[in-house]
Amino acid sequence: MASFEDLSKQVITGNQVKVKEVTQALIDEGSAPLDIINLGLIAGMNIVGSRFKNGEMFVPEVLMAAKSMSAGIEIVKPLIADKDMPSIGKVLLGTVKGDLHDIGKNLVGMMLESGGFTVINMGIDISPEQFIKAVKEHNPDILAMSALLTTTMLHMKDTIELLKEEGLHNKVKVIVGGAPISQDFADEVGADGFAPDAASAVDLCKKLLS
Amino acid sequence: MYTTRSLYTRANYEVNQTTLWKMLSEDQCEEIFMTVLELLERTGAEVKNKEALEIFEKAGCWVDGNRVRIPTALSEWAVRTVPSRITLCNRNGKRALSLETTNVYYGPGQGNGQILDPVTGEIRKPLKADIVNTAIICDSLKNIDFAMNNGLPSDVAPAMAEVHAFEALVSNTTKPIVQNVENVAQAQAIVDIAAAIAGGLRELQKNPFVALYIATEGTLVHSDETLAKVIFAAKNGIPFVYNTKLVAGDTAPATPAGALVVAVADVLVGILLAQLVRQGAPVIGGGFFTIEDKANGIKPLGAPEVELMGTGFANVMRYLRIPNFGFAGATDGKLSDAQMGLEAAFSILHAGLSGTNLIHGCGLLEYGLTGSLELIVMGDEVMGMTRRMMKGVEVDEERLARGVIDAVQPGGHYLGEEHTMKFFRSEFWWPTLMNRNRIDDWIAKGAKSMGQRVKEKTLDILKNHRPDKLAEDKLAEIKAIVAKAEAAIE
Ligand code: B1M
Repeated sequence: MASFEDLSKQVITGNQVKVKEVTQALIDEGSAPLDIINLGLIAGMNIVGSRFKNGEMFVPEVLMAAKSMSAGIEIVKPLIADKDMPSIGKVLLGTVKGDLHDIGKNLVGMMLESGGFTVINMGIDISPEQFIKAVKEHNPDILAMSALLTTTMLHMKDTIELLKEEGLHNKVKVIVGGAPISQDFADEVGADGFAPDAASAVDLCKKLLS
Repeated sequence: MYTTRSLYTRANYEVNQTTLWKMLSEDQCEEIFMTVLELLERTGAEVKNKEALEIFEKAGCWVDGNRVRIPTALSEWAVRTVPSRITLCNRNGKRALSLETTNVYYGPGQGNGQILDPVTGEIRKPLKADIVNTAIICDSLKNIDFAMNNGLPSDVAPAMAEVHAFEALVSNTTKPIVQNVENVAQAQAIVDIAAAIAGGLRELQKNPFVALYIATEGTLVHSDETLAKVIFAAKNGIPFVYNTKLVAGDTAPATPAGALVVAVADVLVGILLAQLVRQGAPVIGGGFFTIEDKANGIKPLGAPEVELMGTGFANVMRYLRIPNFGFAGATDGKLSDAQMGLEAAFSILHAGLSGTNLIHGCGLLEYGLTGSLELIVMGDEVMGMTRRMMKGVEVDEERLARGVIDAVQPGGHYLGEEHTMKFFRSEFWWPTLMNRNRIDDWIAKGAKSMGQRVKEKTLDILKNHRPDKLAEDKLAEIKAIVAKAEAAIE
């Protein structure tokens, strides 16, 4: 008998093959698809998140875990109507203008997805105008900006000011992150939150939406 | 590193599987060896032990008074018959250290009359409790492979200090022990203790977890007591280090090559005597070298010449296929400071790269006068880094990573690849003391300097590490042996 606990374990070790096997077995044994996601796949990823935060797991392991979890989701997805797919919020994510670093940002994206968020990943080198256009189009709960360069991080401020000009500031929470970003900087530019790492970003988003 | 597996890698031709500092060529080693043979035949050595003189004479040496001149053939016989490998076991008799080829094992030092109190930072005389602490520290650290006492207890009868030190070590670590002995009575007590733990002398010989440390006076003089200990160790079939200590420019020629000649000659005298007493007696050739610091009149331990000559000695011993013993991890500094870190790291790296089998000395401050547990703890970190260097770059199909490089494509990254996952833990060295926190995290954790982190780790080990204990009946047996030896000595 396959179990949710076993599925979580396989996610934690990042074993894609096993995750697929156990997911399929759970489906065959009649487990509810949403339970497989919430009690198995996401539960495992939550543990990965907290271990990463504590320095017990490292980026490559987190990425493998996230990949294996996605592989499990792919199997379950066709069994769930689109509207029933669990989502605790919509996050619009991108690296700011002039900045091409995306490894940390993608990690944040994966962890958010694994944490139950719907993520729209816009990619890199995103100008304030592009962010505003996307906010209007997708109506996200959270706008998440990443920057890795001291020379590009000021574009976060530009984006937040443009949001205010457009009167969107109260409709969407803004979070920022990346190696040179600090809580002080986030306060200075008027962001609603800052997270030092990907796992904290998930906690932060949950907090902001609760 | 604490393994039963030899780290030596076979090859049909030259192999650089590990980074090795081979300072002397085969030809240079041969030249040194030939000079040693000539010297032993022409100049000979002073031998002050009557039994040894008789043994040497009977074997065909030319004995004139205390001067023993050794025919080349006899020296060569000794080099052939002394074992080219010795396995030191742990206290449970499990094979632990393979003293062979260029396998490297680290441990603390001894001979210091003072200790840096790990709590108060005060410099004072060592107590038996300090040796217990040394054992606990050695037991807990991954890169410390064997124990030595790091100081003689001052709160016991002086004539019994080594025996008490050994009791403290053997009761608090399972790692192999290298134990200094002042005389045969002490050596007997220590072998008795070890045999009691092993289940008899024969079992101890089969799986020895102690090597006696016998220091010779250097400069081709071998005292009565020193050689009595050699005869004792050989008769009992207990491995021992025959260690010469030389000061280039003072007790040995100022030239490193000349100092090496004297050292190898010294060691060969001890090895020959042991082989004549019991053919095949396990001996570890020890060489310690320093210089005279003319400005201060002291003999430094942090000088580059210590490792320069130490490496030369290891190279010659390797050439002769004799297990060897050297020195690293000490400092002339007086406290946990940058000098301590620099000198210890410099020497630990070089001694490691030299392929010295047993490297002792980590923990000695103030050119050997003071022992520091903190230095052992910091040294462990450097040993880990050194071992990563020595592991070298493994080149094989999987590690060449052709497939994953193509899968990632130019401009991509390797963070999420199976290949990275497989290797990132084992191919990288992971620090335990070196700080790589982002500055905010470092500040949040108290903005601690290396010295503070080392001290905290030291105290944490002392508080929390629990070495495997000996069984009650063994402890009682040991107590009785110590009491008996004490009564006999007084
Ligand atoms: C929205 O909410 C959130 C919340 C949390 C968020 C978040 C968002 N975003 C990130 N986080 C947080 O969560 C993640 C994990 O938990 C963390 O993300 P990180 O991104 O910090 O961590 C990642 C998981 C791993 N880290 C990384 O991915 C960054 C690693 C380093 C080595 C790095 C890389 C890899 C690259 N680089 Co660049 N690069 C460096 C970096 C040096 C370093 N050792 O950090 C850094 C950032 N780079 C630098 C520079 C200068 C540059 N780089 C450049 C280029 C590149 C590459 C393209 C080669 C490559 C990026 C590849 C890619 N696809 O991303 C150039 C700029 C290009 C550009 N216009 O952007 C170039 C200018 C170099 C040049 N002269 O060409 C330096 C910045 C200096 C500064 N003060 O600004 C740098 C610190 C290196 C250095 N020491 O000089 C957290 O910050």
